[in-house]
Amino acid sequence: MTRFMHRYIRVVDAVNYRVGRVAMYGIFVIMGILLISSVNKTFFTPTLWTLEMAQFAMVAYYVLGGPYSIQLGSNVRMDLLYGEWSLRKKAWVDLMTVFFLIFYLLVLLYGAISSTAYSFGYWGTEPFSFFSGLITGTEEIGHMERSSSAWRPYLWPIKFVMIIGIFLMLLQCISELLKDVLRLKGEEI
Amino acid sequence: QTAIKWRFQTYAGAALGEHVTKPVIDFINKAANGELEIELYYADQIVPTGELFQALQRGTIDAVHSDDDSMASPTPLQQFGGYFPLATKHSLDVPVLFDQYGLADIWREEYAKVGVTWLSAAGQDPCNFNTKKEITSLADLDGLKLYTFPTAGRFLSQFGVVPVSIPYEDAEVAVQTGELDGMAWSGITEDYTVGWADVTDYFLTNNISGAWIGSFFVNQQVWADLPEHLKAIVMAGIEAGHTYRNQWYWGGEARLRAQGDKLQLRSIPQEEWVVVEDAAKVFWTEIAAESELNAKIVQTFRDYNDVISKAGPPYTFG
Amino acid sequence: MSYELIATLMFSSMMLMLLTGQRVFGAIGFVAVVASLVLWGDKGGFDLGFAAAMKLMKWYPLLTLPMFIFMGYVLSESKIADDLYKMFHVWMGGLQGGLAIGTIGLMVLISAMNGLSVAGMAIGATIALPELLKRGYDKRMVTGVIQAGSSLGILVPPSVVLVLYAMIARQPVGQLWLAGVIPGLMMAAMFIIYIMVRCWKNPTLGPILSAEERDMPRAEKLKLLTAGLLPIAIFAVMMVPFVNGWTSLVESSAIGALAAFLAAVVKGRMTREVFENSVRNTLSITCMFMWIILAALAFGAVFDGLGAVKAIESLFTEKLGLSPWVILILMQLTFILMGTFLDDTAMLVIVAPLYVPLVGALGFDLVWYGILYTITCQIAYMTPPFGYNLFLMRAMAPPEITIQDIYRSIVPFVLVMVGALALVMIFPQLALWLPNYVYGN
Ligand code: NA
Ligand code: NA
Repeated sequence: MTRFMHRYIRVVDAVNYRVGRVAMYGIFVIMGILLISSVNKTFFTPTLWTLEMAQFAMVAYYVLGGPYSIQLGSNVRMDLLYGEWSLRKKAWVDLMTVFFLIFYLLVLLYGAISSTAYSFGYWGTEPFSFFSGLITGTEEIGHMERSSSAWRPYLWPIKFVMIIGIFLMLLQCISELLKDVLRLKGEEI
Repeated sequence: QTAIKWRFQTYAGAALGEHVTKPVIDFINKAANGELEIELYYADQIVPTGELFQALQRGTIDAVHSDDDSMASPTPLQQFGGYFPLATKHSLDVPVLFDQYGLADIWREEYAKVGVTWLSAAGQDPCNFNTKKEITSLADLDGLKLYTFPTAGRFLSQFGVVPVSIPYEDAEVAVQTGELDGMAWSGITEDYTVGWADVTDYFLTNNISGAWIGSFFVNQQVWADLPEHLKAIVMAGIEAGHTYRNQWYWGGEARLRAQGDKLQLRSIPQEEWVVVEDAAKVFWTEIAAESELNAKIVQTFRDYNDVISKAGPPYTFG
Repeated sequence: MSYELIATLMFSSMMLMLLTGQRVFGAIGFVAVVASLVLWGDKGGFDLGFAAAMKLMKWYPLLTLPMFIFMGYVLSESKIADDLYKMFHVWMGGLQGGLAIGTIGLMVLISAMNGLSVAGMAIGATIALPELLKRGYDKRMVTGVIQAGSSLGILVPPSVVLVLYAMIARQPVGQLWLAGVIPGLMMAAMFIIYIMVRCWKNPTLGPILSAEERDMPRAEKLKLLTAGLLPIAIFAVMMVPFVNGWTSLVESSAIGALAAFLAAVVKGRMTREVFENSVRNTLSITCMFMWIILAALAFGAVFDGLGAVKAIESLFTEKLGLSPWVILILMQLTFILMGTFLDDTAMLVIVAPLYVPLVGALGFDLVWYGILYTITCQIAYMTPPFGYNLFLMRAMAPPEITIQDIYRSIVPFVLVMVGALALVMIFPQLALWLPNYVYGN
């Protein structure tokens, strides 16, 4: 069991590290899009797609970068009490509270999946059976949701990116949970 | 007996919602005498407008006041709601089209297919432009970043307009932050009511459609569960709201054009505006070619416009 | 269950969860989704959390957030502010307490180049603080100077805090930024007056720089002044196209970020390490903000969907029958109190659903209130037990500065800030004159 935990932590942290390191350079993508937008607006004609594209890039940036930011330990905590606790006590409390976080992420993930199903034209309340139906051929793609702009991009790609990001965030939080378990067992991580 | 509670979200922000939606809700709440209590929420308050339809299907929101276009209706009717280019001249055209020319049946049927009950449509104000820069010719539209309805935006982009889609309540700020040069969204009453007249300087009297087409929708299950007498009260409240809005807009458009001091009026001469009218005919044909249902709706618009153009003023502009 | 009860439950459970020291976005998000599930159930209760993500995506001014954060990190990591510091050092050193006054000047210039207080703190603690201590300045006073001075970053435009406030209160960012200018400069002047008075009464607190240290050829002295041009240039490159309407706010923030980046490259400061640190820290801070806002939006939507806002509004105005000013002052007091425990984003979560609509309903100007809000955030940044500047100071201060020093150092500056808050409350024109003048026609 301990070996499994170590392996899980190693794999998940490595994957999220790489995803995060790539997402990190997204800052230049956002900047680039906005600069194209400025140049076009100032010297030529304003572009249809830049504002929305920059918004998509920003969503990808913070959603995919989220797990890496957890690794970096940048998420603020209120350390009124927490700051004074011993490492062991912190680990104990974290062990409990991380379940709240995991619950939140699960609800978020379910919402993302159901919203993505909607963007493929599924109106029902069983998004999972819709997606498995798509694979087996019993369901088909309906009205594809598009953004309500003149550019009219399809919305499923960005929603799909959000599913991936939230899912990775979930894996990362489980990894944090396991780290606390190992810490309490007195193991080095 | 406990009251039935509805969460109702409108497309309008608080300032406009005060006139376009709140009177309906107040009427129903009063008439229902505690049996039905509707709580009104304004644009983006509970869910963003883009997610409004899914929220209505799911029951996150029980009922909605919006046009098909801005709430991204997943039905083919989406592009006909809001402002279908040059489809109408006056707000009364809308109830006539729906109740006398059969659009109501199409709307009811299409929304039933996607789990939503369509209740009623009404006309509102025309779609004019209010901008920071002066517009006196079609060429002035080139490069303008405007907040407008998706379908209207697609139509206007052939004249160089850059349609920008942002949340309704952010539009005023967006003019100040330079994200927008103005709006092609409403008549002059709304410009003054929501504060857009404070951030823009000119009002173009040419409109790209004479009346907004907007509807009241309710979640199918929620409607089915509502007792008959309350259904009657809801419908009566909606009708009363239609009457109020008709007067509010009709009077407001005239008064503020004539006496308002925040927006200067400008016009593109009719000889030049014909280009837009002709482009609308092409646009109609394109949309009609997309499906049988589209063809049927476009044909309805054509039939009605034939009738009013033969009838002459006051049905047409002269 | 009554709305008041549900609202109280939501708030108290959130505060309780925050006390456990868990990640702030987890605490807020959890309460939000549980409340939405309890109240909406399977009728869309699962969807509200994610709907907030779509709302966040559509809020275009948030695009300025990563840009300003990046800009701040480039400025502090690349140390292009060194020359700026030297300039103040030489030019102000001859005055009693001159270096501390110069540090406030430095902080104002840095504030004009970035939207948070982090850059000011980093520059202040790593460049200014050691020099000040070496010159025999009182450690408590200068520790306070740097914490207070850097907090101007959120009041002097550009300001990330005001962008967030603008989003929540639906007020124009441009006007809010302009509204921050005069109160920001006024507060800087108040800090300077405080330093001058203290050093005048007790010259050992801020000794005059020795003559040989200030001895420098006039030409070289003048050359140092050009260091002041850099922040002005970056500020101009960003703000001129925006004010003239050539580019939008969001586009201008990208231009500012690019300008800061290029300035560091041209000055030969963009090493591999600086690049890595700026890019990585930008990601981690942006993610922190975004995930908190995401959770906060869901919290706000549920809270709103309960009708709790209306309930609280009627409680204050109808049931308690208090006058608008009494309510405002009460709100500001509780707000300062909360600020000592919470960080600014968490405060925004509380202020957004509760205070902003109420302030609007009471008939107060929401641009003006944005400035009151921001000054309160500045106070919150410095007051224990929770404050960003406090944490940063703890992490970056040299060893001779103890926690006691840090805690005590802020007292006079917090009092000055409360004074500034009161002035802006009594004279709203301090905030509103400039935006009215610029946008007035
Ligand atoms: Na600033
Ligand atoms: Na604090």
